[in-house]
Amino acid sequence: MNTIKGLMLKDLYVFKNYKKNIYFSIIVFAFIIAMASIRINVLVYGSIIFLFFFGMNSISTFSYDENSEIDKYLLSLPITRKEIVFSKYLFTFLNSFLSLIFGFILSLIISLLVTHEINSFFNSLKICFLAFTSVSFLMCADIPCIYKWGVEKGRMQSVLVPILIFFLLSFLSFIILLIFPNLYNLITLDKLLSIAPILCLILNIFFYYLSFHISYKIFSKKSI
Amino acid sequence: MKYNLEVNNLTKEYPDFKLNKLNFKLPAGKIIGLIGKNGSGKTTTIKAILNLINYDGQIKIFNEDNHELTKIEREQIGIVLDDSFFSPILNVHDINNLMRHFYHNWNEKQFYKYVKEFKIPTNRSLKEFSNGMKMKVKVICAISHEPKLLILDEPTNGLDPIFRYEILDMFSKFVSNNTNSILITTHITSDLEHIADEIIFMDEGKIILDTKKEVIDNSYGLVELPKTDLSTINKNAYSKILQYKDTCLLLIMDKTKFMEEYPHLNIRKPSLEELMLLIVKGV
Repeated sequence: MNTIKGLMLKDLYVFKNYKKNIYFSIIVFAFIIAMASIRINVLVYGSIIFLFFFGMNSISTFSYDENSEIDKYLLSLPITRKEIVFSKYLFTFLNSFLSLIFGFILSLIISLLVTHEINSFFNSLKICFLAFTSVSFLMCADIPCIYKWGVEKGRMQSVLVPILIFFLLSFLSFIILLIFPNLYNLITLDKLLSIAPILCLILNIFFYYLSFHISYKIFSKKSI
Repeated sequence: MKYNLEVNNLTKEYPDFKLNKLNFKLPAGKIIGLIGKNGSGKTTTIKAILNLINYDGQIKIFNEDNHELTKIEREQIGIVLDDSFFSPILNVHDINNLMRHFYHNWNEKQFYKYVKEFKIPTNRSLKEFSNGMKMKVKVICAISHEPKLLILDEPTNGLDPIFRYEILDMFSKFVSNNTNSILITTHITSDLEHIADEIIFMDEGKIILDTKKEVIDNSYGLVELPKTDLSTINKNAYSKILQYKDTCLLLIMDKTKFMEEYPHLNIRKPSLEELMLLIVKGV
């Protein structure tokens, strides 16, 4: 576990390189949220802004790793390939999750300060978790591409693979709904929101588990 | 004899290059210098030893197959890689913080002692360092967890002569306990003149010379003479010849015998660079 902590710390150090940008972005977003909170439910929009802007930043750590060819060095130390891949996934998950939580709490505080009321707290939280699952899907589709082709060479694949998977799943859903048209009436937004926490949990575990195993398989066969 | 590293029939094939059945053993308390021109297979050998690439053959470290080394055994290896290290945005404190997570026996006190000794700035990031300074940090990282085996890929690259001397001295002390060993690759062959016990010379993926340094010092010789005098020398008396415009260089494998046959000729010890040149380019 100490090794995993070290590997995650290595990725965290990457962020300190642009900490000024991060602070500046937080102030700008906080201002936008404060302005928007008069008209819209900022609990959802504020959290999603933070989730997408900061939560997907862990991809940049791959870029730093690639530039310094650090994998070669790390694998020469008493570190296994499994630990390297695992730490990346744990870091990615924690980074997105903490970005969402931070965005949510900040939006909540701003909303309370500006409008002195909170609208649909639990529903907002559920929508945020659905958004978090979407980010998990994107990241979990991207990371194996990075392990396979690298950040630079795999730029196109990192965009295309999630889109391709999304269209395949949509097509599959379309076919299922054609075969079972009654399902269309059964799945409503309210019902989806009511099962959102458990749905998000299952989907996140599924995405991360599957993606981790694909990435590990790719990385374990890779000559460094 | 106890060996810290054994390489048996190491073979690795790329489309345009083949590492061909390499065999060598690194005994405890010794330093082996791996030399050869660019693309001769030195780095591929290091990569195979560190298990970074798939290969055929067998590599044993501390008498264990290198695929089956435990973490504790891997902690006893110190590494310097020429082209790979931590991200340049890190500073020395960050690196110390990371290394103590990776090594149980990371010696923070020793790390900072070397940092101070080698005058490495602690508050600047690696990207602000010169190549030599970066190399110093790499070397310090390799030796600050009390390893038994050092595997060093071009560790003197970019270093000034004074630090090269200091670092080579440090390596000599490192093996003086007769338990530790070093495998070192370098382009700067003069570094090995002072510290290596054995020289392995590679060319096009093959070992073309594997000999103890003392054999080179005591038996090998170099004779430089005008081309016009070459006809006076028996062809069997030298093993390689390199011809220039007016002069030629002869590599002698048994200088005692040569001196008996040709006492009037001046014979001197070849440098590793001259040896490398004669073996590759000589006929």
